[in-house]
Amino acid sequence: MNRQIRQLAAGLILCYVALFVALNFWQVGRKEELDARFDNTRAVLREFNKPRGPIVTADGVVVAHSLANPPDSRFDYRREYPSGDLLSNVTGYYTLSFGATQVERQHGDVLTGTTAAQQVRSLGDLLGGDVDSSGSVQLTLRHDAQNAARFFLGGREGSVVVVEVETGAIVAMWSNPSYDPNTFVNQDFEVAREVISELQEADGNPLLANAYQERYMPGSTFKMITTGIGLETGALTLASQFDRVREWVPPQTDDPIQNYRGSQCGGDLAEVFRRSCNIPFAQTAVALGPAAMIEGTRNWGLDEELPIDLPRPAGSTFGNTSDLDQNLPLLAIRGFGQNEDQMVPLHMALVGGAIANGGRMMKPYAVAATFDHGGRVLDQTRPEVWKTPLSPQNASIISDLMVGVAQSGTASCCIGLNGGVPVAAKTGTADLGLGGGVDLVHAWIVAFAPADAPKYAVAVVLTDLESTPAEAATGGRLAGPVAKGVLDFLLTGDGAG
Amino acid sequence: MTDVDVLAGVDGSPRRADSPLARSRRNTELTLVVMAALITGSAYTIASLGTNAEIPPGIVVFVAFLLGLLLLAHLVVRYVARGADGTLLPLAALLHGIGFVMITRLDDRLAGLQATWSLIGIAVFVGTLLVVQRAGDLARYRWLLFFGGAGLLLLPLLPGLGTTINGARIWVNVGPINFQPGEFAKIALAIFFAAYLADRRELIAASTWKVGPLRLPEPRYIAPILVAWGFAVVVMVGERDLGSSLLFFTLFVVMIWVATERVGYLLLGVVLFAGAAYFSWTQFSHVQTRVDIWIDPWSRSLDRGYQIVQSLYGLSDGGLTGTGLGRGNPNQVPEAQNDFIFASIGEELGLIGGTVILMSYLLIVGAGLRTALRSERPFEKLLATGLTTIIGVQAFIIIGGVIKVVPLTGITLPFVSYGGSSLIANYLLLALLIRVSDASARRLGDLPDDLTIGERWQRAQLARRARRAGRKGLPPPGGDAAGADAAGADALPGADPGGAAT
Repeated sequence: MNRQIRQLAAGLILCYVALFVALNFWQVGRKEELDARFDNTRAVLREFNKPRGPIVTADGVVVAHSLANPPDSRFDYRREYPSGDLLSNVTGYYTLSFGATQVERQHGDVLTGTTAAQQVRSLGDLLGGDVDSSGSVQLTLRHDAQNAARFFLGGREGSVVVVEVETGAIVAMWSNPSYDPNTFVNQDFEVAREVISELQEADGNPLLANAYQERYMPGSTFKMITTGIGLETGALTLASQFDRVREWVPPQTDDPIQNYRGSQCGGDLAEVFRRSCNIPFAQTAVALGPAAMIEGTRNWGLDEELPIDLPRPAGSTFGNTSDLDQNLPLLAIRGFGQNEDQMVPLHMALVGGAIANGGRMMKPYAVAATFDHGGRVLDQTRPEVWKTPLSPQNASIISDLMVGVAQSGTASCCIGLNGGVPVAAKTGTADLGLGGGVDLVHAWIVAFAPADAPKYAVAVVLTDLESTPAEAATGGRLAGPVAKGVLDFLLTGDGAG
Repeated sequence: MTDVDVLAGVDGSPRRADSPLARSRRNTELTLVVMAALITGSAYTIASLGTNAEIPPGIVVFVAFLLGLLLLAHLVVRYVARGADGTLLPLAALLHGIGFVMITRLDDRLAGLQATWSLIGIAVFVGTLLVVQRAGDLARYRWLLFFGGAGLLLLPLLPGLGTTINGARIWVNVGPINFQPGEFAKIALAIFFAAYLADRRELIAASTWKVGPLRLPEPRYIAPILVAWGFAVVVMVGERDLGSSLLFFTLFVVMIWVATERVGYLLLGVVLFAGAAYFSWTQFSHVQTRVDIWIDPWSRSLDRGYQIVQSLYGLSDGGLTGTGLGRGNPNQVPEAQNDFIFASIGEELGLIGGTVILMSYLLIVGAGLRTALRSERPFEKLLATGLTTIIGVQAFIIIGGVIKVVPLTGITLPFVSYGGSSLIANYLLLALLIRVSDASARRLGDLPDDLTIGERWQRAQLARRARRAGRKGLPPPGGDAAGADAAGADALPGADPGGAAT
């Protein structure tokens, strides 16, 4: 019988080897595949049973936090966003069934306390009785400034971005439409899917943070960049003179370029900048040539992703440049911000910020610092220069040109700040060229103040406005008051100091 | 026969003779048992930290209680089965401990009940070792065990007594007590198989009955076993307990194969199994469902395949090192504390923890089969083989089901799963295995074969009678009367009928 017993032993060993192999297969071999399956909620479940730290604005308002559920709930915690849609484009959402976005995603490890530093520290805290290792994230955004931005945009579709010129810290970044994450984050898969797919199909793309994840035709605000390139290359000086004309035929075509609404426009640089003539900047672009314009726009950060500390940023673009030398009329038009030029609203605020900051364009950031559960700093964002498109002298020249725009140019109607705070601005009205009786336009303004000692740069864009000959939608008239409202609030209003 | 020498040796001194080998085995067992208790205590603390973020308030009491129970079991082994293998008890204690921690972590309420069952389990272990002092004695009760086992199996089918839980009618309700008689039936039938086959294995192997080209054993020799097996299988299918059915089948085939030394029985078993499996697959929808889910659980991941898919997600989430005790979500898997407890362990302790469980069973299988190899008596050999097969195959069936190696059949994971019947039956089984192991060690001369408590008591009684008789001037007991009185001597090594076939 012993032979059979040995054979039996061998057989059982084989059985257990098979189990061991299968265990390896599931736990190691196919781990990634299984973890990624749509109906596998293990990772989220684990997270929802742990406290998740808060996201706090620069002025100390909690905009995302976890609350303990009543006992016997499916999960120990639920995620709430006390300010609803106000900061959801920055905080993002953290859902049971659909993952996380924005800060919730970017700093998920800090919020759950799984960074290496937190793990090491929490080991010590454990002995002290503190077992919650969840961290917190402090934004650079101010709740009050964000509220002001929302208030002054007044429910129209568009974006408002305010950055600190010296650091690149984002003070406010509001896009309308936005969404309220509370409507779906704690819901079951089916409900959440319905809400999210509704939001995905909604007009204006509420789930997208349009202020940094979308780009729009910039119109005349692009002239800041063309002017900057011209000054840097020497093609433009304050002494440059332009003919007063209604239209100009660029090379390689018979089709003339016109000024805004066919007006006659010309004079020195200050004059054409103040009145926002198109033809001088078209001529400057053609005079610079494709290569210089392309290189120049690259120096301003076009055609690359914005280096923001949030996920999936968009990048501004100068358009398709592959055979621009064969298409000089397009180059001309792009010189004043039409055709394929596309700018991200946040980038436009950075352009204003660079001019205000002596030519240094700072890296934008939305997270000021991260903290562990004990309030100790884990990481603090240090301001960094992203691009230096201008010399300080040229920055100062454009700054003066923009003060002119605010005082007596296209923005003069609407940007004058309370208390006589000096302000610099550039307007833009991007014609989407749909023709017919009604044009669709984007109305822009980029401004910074105080002009003599700049603190904040702001970019406002109102998108897809209907513009009629009777009532022209222009950047100065429509976007100007929004920028003024926000700057007044920050400099002399309730948000000052 | 050595009986006479041994008796003579013991006769002189009532104190037990020392045995370095037995002492070393028991010391090994003591060390390992303490280690199992410490591992369990640490795991208990970690699981509490993981779930409630606090050191369990009753940790000292828990460890003391655990150590107390295990030391009691150890001391009883040291006293009445000191030659037995030193790894069986610690391995069972480790599995039991990990299982208990997992159950506590899954459901506090069940933990209290399981603690009670643990207490009873150890009590049954101790009781079995004390009552069954000679493994060979069991063979005498083969028919009682056969009918008892069959009765236990039938019990759940009785109206008013049996209860169907989760589709299987394997529970019996008597007042407040709920138990699965099948867990005990498998042990009874294993003992019956061992006793029956030990007696008749040569007759069965002789295969003198010619049916066409086939040479079969005489029907009268094979019939009782076939009846026992058919009975078990039919009842199991009637009770829809596929796992137990498979276990009985394997047990039967393995035991008859080992006993007869004829591989034909193994092959016949495989063919019979394939036939039965195919038949039930065509006839029973619940069998079809099981097979379908086994082949493709993914497309039914939200209904019928939910349990197995969640189990695999849990295992995958655990990965190599696990999520950590108390930090996973094993409750996602229905019946996590029962049949799917291995998935919970794999999730929270990872591949490493799962491998520890697999290794523990393999080591138990190794110790059990080593005992079988060392035994010189067919009954003990077959009994050790059968008991080991139960543990090894049962663990394989359920772990394999949980990790999709074989179709899932509901059955408990020995020592680990929640459940009183299972735990108590497995401790009973463990005690028998230890008893056989001790017996074979004695027979091999690892230690002197001193008298059991019962035998010493009988001897003392005999001596008393002899003295009394001496005082009254009667001749000392002998002749016919002495034969009846000395029944205990039949139980002495070499005296039972099973020994004759060695």
